[in-house]
Amino acid sequence: MDLDLQGVAAAIMATGESERRAARDPVNLPIIENWIEAIGDANPVYTDAALAAGSVHGGLVAPPAMIQVWTMTGQATPAAGRDDPMGRIVSALDDAGFTSVVATNCDQVYNRYLRHGEQLTLTVSLTDLTGPKQTALGEGYFFTTRHAWYSGDEVVATMDFRILKFRPGTGAARPAGTAAGGHGTPMRPMISADTAFFWAGTRAGELRIQSCADCGTLRHPPGPMCVACGSPNPEYVVAAGTGEVFSFIVHHHPPVPGKKLPLVLALVDLPEGVRVLGELAGVSPESVRIGMPVEAAFLKVDDELTLPAWRPAIGGGLPAQLPGLTVDVTTTFVVGGALATRDFTRVHHDRDFAVASGSREIFVNILTTTGLVQRFVAGWAGHGALFRSIAIRLGAPCYAGDTLSFTGAVISRDGDLYTVAVTGRCGLGDHVTSTVVVEIPGSAA
Amino acid sequence: MTGAAIAGIGATEFSKDSGRSELRLAVEAVRVALADAGLTAGDVDGLVTFSMDSNAEIAVARELGIGELTFFSQIGYGGGAACATVQQAAMAIATGAAEAVVCYRAMNERSGRRFGQVAAGAAAQATSAGVDNSWHYPIGLSTPASTVAMMARRYMHVYGAEGADFGVVAVADRKHAASNPKAWFYRRPITMEDHQASRWITEPLRLLDCCQESDGGVAIVVTSLERARSLRQPPVSVAAAAQGSGRDEYMMTSYYRDDMTGLPEMGIVARQLWGKSGFSPADVRTAVLYDHFTPYVLMQLEELGFCGRGEAPGFIADGAIEVGGRLPLNTHGGQLGEAYIHGMNGIAEGVRQVRGTSVNQVPGDGPVLVTAGTGVPTSGLVLVAG
Repeated sequence: MDLDLQGVAAAIMATGESERRAARDPVNLPIIENWIEAIGDANPVYTDAALAAGSVHGGLVAPPAMIQVWTMTGQATPAAGRDDPMGRIVSALDDAGFTSVVATNCDQVYNRYLRHGEQLTLTVSLTDLTGPKQTALGEGYFFTTRHAWYSGDEVVATMDFRILKFRPGTGAARPAGTAAGGHGTPMRPMISADTAFFWAGTRAGELRIQSCADCGTLRHPPGPMCVACGSPNPEYVVAAGTGEVFSFIVHHHPPVPGKKLPLVLALVDLPEGVRVLGELAGVSPESVRIGMPVEAAFLKVDDELTLPAWRPAIGGGLPAQLPGLTVDVTTTFVVGGALATRDFTRVHHDRDFAVASGSREIFVNILTTTGLVQRFVAGWAGHGALFRSIAIRLGAPCYAGDTLSFTGAVISRDGDLYTVAVTGRCGLGDHVTSTVVVEIPGSAA
Repeated sequence: MTGAAIAGIGATEFSKDSGRSELRLAVEAVRVALADAGLTAGDVDGLVTFSMDSNAEIAVARELGIGELTFFSQIGYGGGAACATVQQAAMAIATGAAEAVVCYRAMNERSGRRFGQVAAGAAAQATSAGVDNSWHYPIGLSTPASTVAMMARRYMHVYGAEGADFGVVAVADRKHAASNPKAWFYRRPITMEDHQASRWITEPLRLLDCCQESDGGVAIVVTSLERARSLRQPPVSVAAAAQGSGRDEYMMTSYYRDDMTGLPEMGIVARQLWGKSGFSPADVRTAVLYDHFTPYVLMQLEELGFCGRGEAPGFIADGAIEVGGRLPLNTHGGQLGEAYIHGMNGIAEGVRQVRGTSVNQVPGDGPVLVTAGTGVPTSGLVLVAG
């Protein structure tokens, strides 16, 4: 079986790109406005001709995350033919018994912004088949298709779309409570009369350092008496929130309640002269160095507890942590998003069908999720930002009736180019984790 | 000289699942130690243990049939208590509070509460320790290995030490354990390649930098040197015993000192041991240095004066700490190789070296040094033939 499937895949890959399939309509304002109403990205360069003319684009452009919308097959048109590379590998896997499907990754790269009126065509090619693998959902194969959008003969955007096709009923049930990050109940601090001010500070988004009312000496961790002059009159100052890594570790084993592993923890020297331990968030363990500049961050556990933490300092005058975004995922939102992205797959608008297919409810489609990631990052990056790529890893489904909360942080910066890590969490856990590369012209100055 | 001597040592087998209660392990170890000394339960009038031990002195006394106790004491700060239990006994004997004191530690540390796992309750205690731990545990710094790794990273950064330098300690310990039938890792030596290939626990520490978890019990009988001379075993004199706690001390997380490449509390112990015994590091024949994690063995060598700051990687190279080398360490296999009994099995090995009965006997008549837990308030002993 395995040999057959790999042989089929090799034959499909050898055919290369499919025939170009034309978008139904050119890039146009009404479809963009539908999308903006559903997704909620209010950047005027998409809709306000006068303002757009004066922007870096010099005219109206389309939201980059809409790229796939233009070539969706729509409601009346039959699904793409069984003879294109995607259709052929899907039917081969169906025939082999791997009939269930879940998309796992969707990595879009935007070579440039599209102008209103451009007519797009799409090609699809198969680039990878891996398996069989035993996954949590069941035994299955992963395949990746490369989608390329052309304007004339110019490739304006690409997408690598990774799908798992699995044999139904061969997976392990996910243990309750494992969907979200880490497992177990997070550890909580013992808070005394001497330390309460610190934890009140983290709740308020302040890193507070104990100071002596009499001699001004700063200390951390705090205590009841000034260690310099013996004064029992402590006050506090709010730290500037900057520092340098003094030492750090990468914890791999054993599991730590409430934390995802590997866990990077850093002792940070503050310019105020004290040292504070915190999780170093939004960073790859390999990139951490003693001496690297960091900024204060705050990890909210619940309404009572927020932990002090650190993030790599990015400079450029932008906060390293993106302002949060919470979306109320109503039935209208799910259906509106699906239709505005021209995705007529029934699990996104037909509750009876969705339930009969084994879902709890209708759920958010991938194109809407991609749009929400763009909206979330745009809310931080501003109207002048240029999206270069959005890579998405899909997790738990987000059903109608849920809420979807986005958090994000800059993980690296190269001149005007920022790499942002985004997590969209719903009731079942991480719905989406995403890496977004965005250019913010002039921010390096 | 303290005037006190170790007259008997005893232990249970070292295992991963003793199959019996910690109290039974304690009592068994004490019985073996008393028999070794040629004493009976009725001779014992003092008991000392760790505040972390789950077996109260009165329970041990009851089970052994010890009648009246005139001295009982518990030492805090985890494995840092080990040598301090003997110091407590010596002080009790010197003051006349007791005449025969047994120090003990027994635990099902592998089959029961495992120290290597996250101590989720450490920050939940309504004590100063709970408040101290709250700056670390809820953040995620919640295992002994992680607390040591933070110091080890700094040591590597400042002195250019590498992971393989820590591996030298693991290889030596396991070599010694390989010829010790009582050791868990008897006949199971490792190579540097094994060390370098072992998985990360907390970078920069690998699995083979971390000591094992063990079930077992150890007991040590302390009397006056004069009385010990009339007992069954050749007496092992406690030439010096000391405790030490440094400035700005925390449990495993003394991270708020300017420097984070040493163990000042061990330096305090060292100054007392050399000052009180009249010996110097150059006199030491062999040492049992507390080895729950390999980096702290290097830092101890520097604090104890065997080499200068940052020089331990060079000092331990080329077999220097293996039997036959210039300073053999942990000839029983250490806690990495024999068993992790919170340092008490190291005191027993120090006694065997003085008696001349170690399976990896180091020739000569120089003093034997034993240290207790590191990264915490700690203690040490200098032992000589009595």
